[in-house]
Amino acid sequence: MLTLPELGLYFSFLMFLVGLAGVMFRKNILFMMLSVEILLNAANLAFVSASRLTNTMDGQVVMFFVMAVAACEAAVGLALIISLYRTKASIEVDDLKALRG
Amino acid sequence: MNLVMLSFIVMGVAAVLLSGVMITRRWPVSAAMVLISVMTLLAGMFGLLDAHFAAVSQIIVYAGAIMVVFVFVIMLLNLPPEELRYGGVTVGEMILSAAGVAVALVLGTKVGQGYLSVGIEELGILKSENSLALHRPLFGPDQNVKNVAATMFVEYLWAFELISFLIIAAMIGSVVIAKKRSAENANAA
Repeated sequence: MLTLPELGLYFSFLMFLVGLAGVMFRKNILFMMLSVEILLNAANLAFVSASRLTNTMDGQVVMFFVMAVAACEAAVGLALIISLYRTKASIEVDDLKALRG
Repeated sequence: MNLVMLSFIVMGVAAVLLSGVMITRRWPVSAAMVLISVMTLLAGMFGLLDAHFAAVSQIIVYAGAIMVVFVFVIMLLNLPPEELRYGGVTVGEMILSAAGVAVALVLGTKVGQGYLSVGIEELGILKSENSLALHRPLFGPDQNVKNVAATMFVEYLWAFELISFLIIAAMIGSVVIAKKRSAENANAA
């Protein structure tokens, strides 16, 4: 029988897979960023589960740092989306070929 | 199976399924709403894992602040429906993406198997006198906020201060990136 934090690790793994599929299969930058939020949430769940598993507080503290980084990432990424939509009139990744090698 | 375990499993399954619902939405606002429900479910799971402060800040910071920014930008862009099409994924990209997800699946399964075969007790984290053991909760399991504060402001003080620099840099950067360029173009012309 699995314990609660072990189950949390498994759920975090499944959520990370779903978010990874979202980042890879969607072509809309907005949806890719929402999927990145799922990835970060899955990582947070893993951190909190590991914190409970090892009976330490480090996982929970790192979870707050991940949350702060997620806020920064959302702010900068959404500003980039606004700027891109203003110049290219599209937020599909297929239309953004300026840096194609 | 007690009630805590049962509700944890229900919330976890619902969170995974709703994540799948989110990545298949066509409209960004409904995707954001589904994501808010995923975050709320995760907050419940944090609460069951005795991380009460993490649960509260998950709702306030994530489902509140960050998702409000997302919804605000979705409304600001006001995308036409033809921008929100599904397609465009070619067969080659599909195969490559599936291969990437499969690699993640295999790696995660291997890590999980390694953990299950060793077990956290035999890794020596709980018993030995190494540095991780020094981070044991100071104030008991029912005083989560005190424990988080005692760890964050003692062991992780420098990381905490550096995060504030990161937030200021992100704030300035997002303002600079998103501001209108028309004024300086007029000056240059």
